[in-house]
Amino acid sequence: MSKRSRLVLILVVLAVCFAFLWPSIKWYYVTPKEQQALALGSREKIKDYSRNMAVADLKQLMADAREDKTVAVEDKYASVITEARKNFKAMKNAQPTVWTARTLLSAFPSESDVLSIIENGYRERILAVKKTQSRAVKLGLDLSGGMSIIIKADLDAAAKTQKGSITDLSQFKAEAMAQAMSTLNSRIDKFGLSEPVIRQQGEDRIYIEIPGAADSERINSIIMGKGMLAFHMVDSEATSAFQQYYELHPTETFDAEYNLLDASIIPADTQVLGLYTKDTYGLDERTGFLVIKKEVGLEGKHIQSAETSRDNVSGQPRVNFVLDSEGTRIFADLTANNIKKSLAIVSDGKIKSHAVINESIPTGSVQLSGFSAEEAENIKAVLRTAWLNIPLQLENQQVIGASMGEEAIRQGVWALTFGLAAVLVFMLLYYRGAGLNACVAQILNLFIMFSVLSALNLTLSLPSIAGMILTIGMAVDANVVIFERIKDELRLKKERAASISAGFDRAFWAIMDSNITTFIAAAFLSQLGTGPIRGFAYSLAIGVLSSVFTALFVSKLMFDFDTDVCKKKTISISWRIK
Amino acid sequence: MKKVIKFSKAFLPCVILSTVLIAFGLVGLLTQGINLGIDFQAGFIEKIRIAPTALTLSYEGSQSVAVSQSSSGISFIVTGVGSDNQTISFLYATYPTVGEFAAAVVEVPGVSIQVNAPESVFLKSLFPDSEALARLSATPYRFHYVPESVSLITPDALRTALVDFPNAAVQVIGLPADQMFQVRLSDDGSDPEASVNLRAGLNRAFVAAYGEENIAVISTDFVGSRFSQSLATQAVWLVLATLVLIWLYATLRFRWDFAMGAVLAIAHDALIMICFVVWTRMQFNSTTIAAILTIIGYSINDTVVVFDRIRENMKFHPDKNITEILDLSQTEILGRTIITSFSTMLAVSSLFIFTTGDMKDFALALLIGMTSGTYSTIYIASAFISFVGKFRKDAGMIKEKAKVAVITSGEVI
Repeated sequence: MSKRSRLVLILVVLAVCFAFLWPSIKWYYVTPKEQQALALGSREKIKDYSRNMAVADLKQLMADAREDKTVAVEDKYASVITEARKNFKAMKNAQPTVWTARTLLSAFPSESDVLSIIENGYRERILAVKKTQSRAVKLGLDLSGGMSIIIKADLDAAAKTQKGSITDLSQFKAEAMAQAMSTLNSRIDKFGLSEPVIRQQGEDRIYIEIPGAADSERINSIIMGKGMLAFHMVDSEATSAFQQYYELHPTETFDAEYNLLDASIIPADTQVLGLYTKDTYGLDERTGFLVIKKEVGLEGKHIQSAETSRDNVSGQPRVNFVLDSEGTRIFADLTANNIKKSLAIVSDGKIKSHAVINESIPTGSVQLSGFSAEEAENIKAVLRTAWLNIPLQLENQQVIGASMGEEAIRQGVWALTFGLAAVLVFMLLYYRGAGLNACVAQILNLFIMFSVLSALNLTLSLPSIAGMILTIGMAVDANVVIFERIKDELRLKKERAASISAGFDRAFWAIMDSNITTFIAAAFLSQLGTGPIRGFAYSLAIGVLSSVFTALFVSKLMFDFDTDVCKKKTISISWRIK
Repeated sequence: MKKVIKFSKAFLPCVILSTVLIAFGLVGLLTQGINLGIDFQAGFIEKIRIAPTALTLSYEGSQSVAVSQSSSGISFIVTGVGSDNQTISFLYATYPTVGEFAAAVVEVPGVSIQVNAPESVFLKSLFPDSEALARLSATPYRFHYVPESVSLITPDALRTALVDFPNAAVQVIGLPADQMFQVRLSDDGSDPEASVNLRAGLNRAFVAAYGEENIAVISTDFVGSRFSQSLATQAVWLVLATLVLIWLYATLRFRWDFAMGAVLAIAHDALIMICFVVWTRMQFNSTTIAAILTIIGYSINDTVVVFDRIRENMKFHPDKNITEILDLSQTEILGRTIITSFSTMLAVSSLFIFTTGDMKDFALALLIGMTSGTYSTIYIASAFISFVGKFRKDAGMIKEKAKVAVITSGEVI
């Protein structure tokens, strides 16, 4: 490879690495904490936030317009102004010199247009920050503090409770696991805390990670608690009253956990819960609020089975479920007393569906209809959780205080900095001029390692920092092997260029062999190991690759640059050899 | 030419020394066992500080207010609807004491503070309960402190408080004035609800003895019995499988006896480290496994570089026997061995100096492993090759293979 193409290659690698590293720098050093907190919230929170902020902004605009203020609107309406300009242009109106509230609103046919522009603006800003976060290096729990949990789902026990009704055991297990995962997902979702991670590990284990401080007893009781499915009656009068109130007071209705700030706006025997459907990604999406009776109409434990089918005549999808004898009695009374009223299916504090009772149902065989096939499947899955109980067992739980994490970061950074500095100083003292090449190679090495960690979305933990420190040692080794070879050549009275070229040639296979064996070990561990071992193995594997690259390319190019451009005839590589 | 150092003379004494060291360690392992950490011995560990509440914070309003404490100050991260999003920071430099902090906090809308500690207590010395949700709500969020004039709680007093847990191991962490303790309970696997019961039972005992407002949990760790077994088995298999893979590659690139020497050297280093852990009673946990893996990675690197030189010298000096070649190669490469080990140890020493707890143990294990790795490269791997070489008819020559390797290397560059 020619020197020029090597230089280009190095520059390209460094540029790509910087691009990978940029989101991490932006997230940890540029983004203010309150922006981080917003971006880490659940999608539901982000949606509510943008909506409510937009409503407040619009109100302000309209109030200003009524007062006919002559001052220009604030900078935050820039996106609205851009749209307004377009509309003015389309309507062939002259562009105003000052965008007052009134001129701005006059550019749009309706207020809802303005609202959606402002709302989009808020949402996109937060989602952009969220995107940065998703591309940044994540900190492991040992560095950020938080809680990690490993739960084993006892699928065999779950299968036993179903007795003879299972035809395909492996399919049953897969379905039961999917159910357990989705139940946990929706329960943890309720915390609305920063990004929780929920992953299936192997056939029957679930790994959960909740960064930041967390109340372990509360989380345990919610995660490990039995599923709570129940039917509640909807209070439609209170619902419409509540909706009116919410429209008028979008920002002052709820606190951060969707508890009412003013409990007196609904009757004392009712509560407000969100109504959810699955969005296109299979995630819960809130479509509105309903006020339901606190009193349970029918507990989910009475459900014996649930199936989907199609109406014989119309082909409409329906969900059928069958109740036990006690449930049949309760449900018969409930339906007879509440004809033409709405009944809600509530699971883990979320309303999954609601339907109007058309007639009393004394048989215990219930049919729900009036939704799409997909919704029917979702409702069936919800109803299933009522009688298919999958015992969950907590196998591992770790809570690390955020202050401990911070202390660990501080120590890790100091250790890495001083370790690197000590190695660099030693290289400069021992190898003099050539030591500079080793230093540059080392620093680039760390840079490349961090950026690859960032690019592969890997987690930075204490074991991975240990892997980096080990890599510093190995990267030094590659340089040392080369320098010692060059010194051997110099002792044979060879010229500078010839010594360098021969030194690199003869060191090549020693470096390749030693690093390939290490890489084999690291790659193997990264595939099979658990958490901390994996983190260590990834950073070692990446470090091996980058240290070979920096030793063979970067250091070589620096030597060649001195030879060709600076016209150096000697090498400063040792105190004894001149 | 430099004078060739006769490393080979020390082969036998070194092999004997290593064997004795490892045997000594294995005896220790059998007689007193290994100090298994929580990762390998099921149970529950809680680090806790017994200290009164210094102040409580609560919040009422539509926004979300999260508290975070860092090395420079305490900050409130205010987000959500109702007013502006902002981070309000109270730096220790500006608000050095609890009194000044309390006076400033009342200015934040919705947040109320109740101070129990004397106003002159340094804000920096406060610490939160890590099990409390960091988002302020109507439930008070507590910061704790250790008062100066207070009779310190001794581990014995703590043991008395935990009388319901006869097998609880109580340990003081840090200075006695920090009032930080570690309590460890074991889980024999008989109680399927152990995770919940151990935690709740321990907390009940603490609350009964010291009161809820005087307890700050620092960290907790629960490992179930089945999980700890699977981790241990997995770790052993991983190490063994890695050794086989390394042996295969080294056989392909060098020769089976070289490969075997390398694998022996690595196994030697891992065993020496285990012996060290056994005799120092250091905790054996997943960090220790990471340290052993690190050394496997490091030692193989070290060994292969030497092998490369041996292979080259076999080609250049076909007249020499294997032991002479080994001595010559080791001498030539001694400078590199020392410099690499020294500079890597500089980096690891820095880790040892700046960290505490598990990480410090990790660094110490690494330092031992590196020393052993350098030593095993020079003596153990070579001793095995020399030993096998004595029985080989070709006296250790690998002429054909070596030539092929040199030609390929010429082409690649």
